Amino acid sequence: MKYLPVIAVALILAANAFAATPEFEIEIRNHLFHPDVLTIPANTKVKLIVYNRDPTPEEFESYELNREKVIMGGRKAIIFIGPLPPGEYPFFGEFNPQTALGKIVVEDADDAG
Amino acid sequence: MLVNSVVIVLREVLEAALMVSVLLAVSRLLRLGTRWLVYALVLGGIGAAAYGRLINPISELFDGVGQELVNAGLQYAVFAALAVTAFLTARQRGKPCANDSMLPTFMAISVALAITREGSEILIYVSGFVQMSDVLSSVALGSLAGAAIGFSVGVLFYYLLLAMAPRHALALSLVLLGLAASGMSAQATGLLIQADWISVAGPIWDSSAFIAEDSLTGQLMYALIGYEASPSATEAGIYAASAGVMAISVVIGLTWFSKSPND
Repeated sequence: MKYLPVIAVALILAANAFAATPEFEIEIRNHLFHPDVLTIPANTKVKLIVYNRDPTPEEFESYELNREKVIMGGRKAIIFIGPLPPGEYPFFGEFNPQTALGKIVVEDADDAG
Repeated sequence: MLVNSVVIVLREVLEAALMVSVLLAVSRLLRLGTRWLVYALVLGGIGAAAYGRLINPISELFDGVGQELVNAGLQYAVFAALAVTAFLTARQRGKPCANDSMLPTFMAISVALAITREGSEILIYVSGFVQMSDVLSSVALGSLAGAAIGFSVGVLFYYLLLAMAPRHALALSLVLLGLAASGMSAQATGLLIQADWISVAGPIWDSSAFIAEDSLTGQLMYALIGYEASPSATEAGIYAASAGVMAISVVIGLTWFSKSPND
């Protein structure tokens, strides 16, 4: 149960979840993610808004984040992520997996976390 | 492009292909014929085309999480249809079905809904290349190859099941349907988490060091039993509860509603 402290912290944070959920934005242009590295706070649920500026569809996908969502050309998608323990969580565009690569870096907001 | 297409389509097809192969094996053992599969493929194809076409308005629903909710609904519905299928299969106790059995109907519903979900993603993927004549042929070729590999695995699985003693094949089929259905239910719950309709704490374990989800084993286990390397407590709990429901469906079918030997 090495995640027990994490769960405890997460439950406390979940109680505060009705406070604002932090928002982050990523763009897809020419089958690349901008930014391709996004840092979010640990043990916090965040709202990720992914804009697909390409005319072609893309699928935001991550095994580590357990997320997948189709984003049609010229559209945006809302994806909720976390709460997560600190670490690196790669994601990719399933329809263009050679170029559309990125990662979410989860960091403690302060070292107390 | 070619290899990408093979992988994408194979990943989408594999789960449905394995489900179809198990259901077809049950169908063969209980002499249900294959007409239900034709209906399922036609209805699933229509469903996938309609869903793919409506993906924009659907995505906009519920503050931008309509896609998650529709996919979750489809997967919970597959779970429910498979639970009824398992119950109806168990009560036969290996004997051929009467013509008025509802079993083929529920098999068809399961497969049609699964194809609607997975097929729409394939259609959306391919639709992105329709205007690009330079790569369209390799995308089409790769997609066909991916689908062919998926079907081949399904066919192999079907004959493996039929090579066993019928009793064992039916028992194994029910176990596999139970695990696949539980995986569907857990995945649907994951989509509700993604949509923020359910709040969860962090993952309760991470087994990606043992079996990574993007490894071959991980992909096969995902398709077969809904393997997830780092689930939340909610998803793991729903998986266990769903497996319990499937087991109870089978037990009730075997005991209370089972066909008497004279039927």
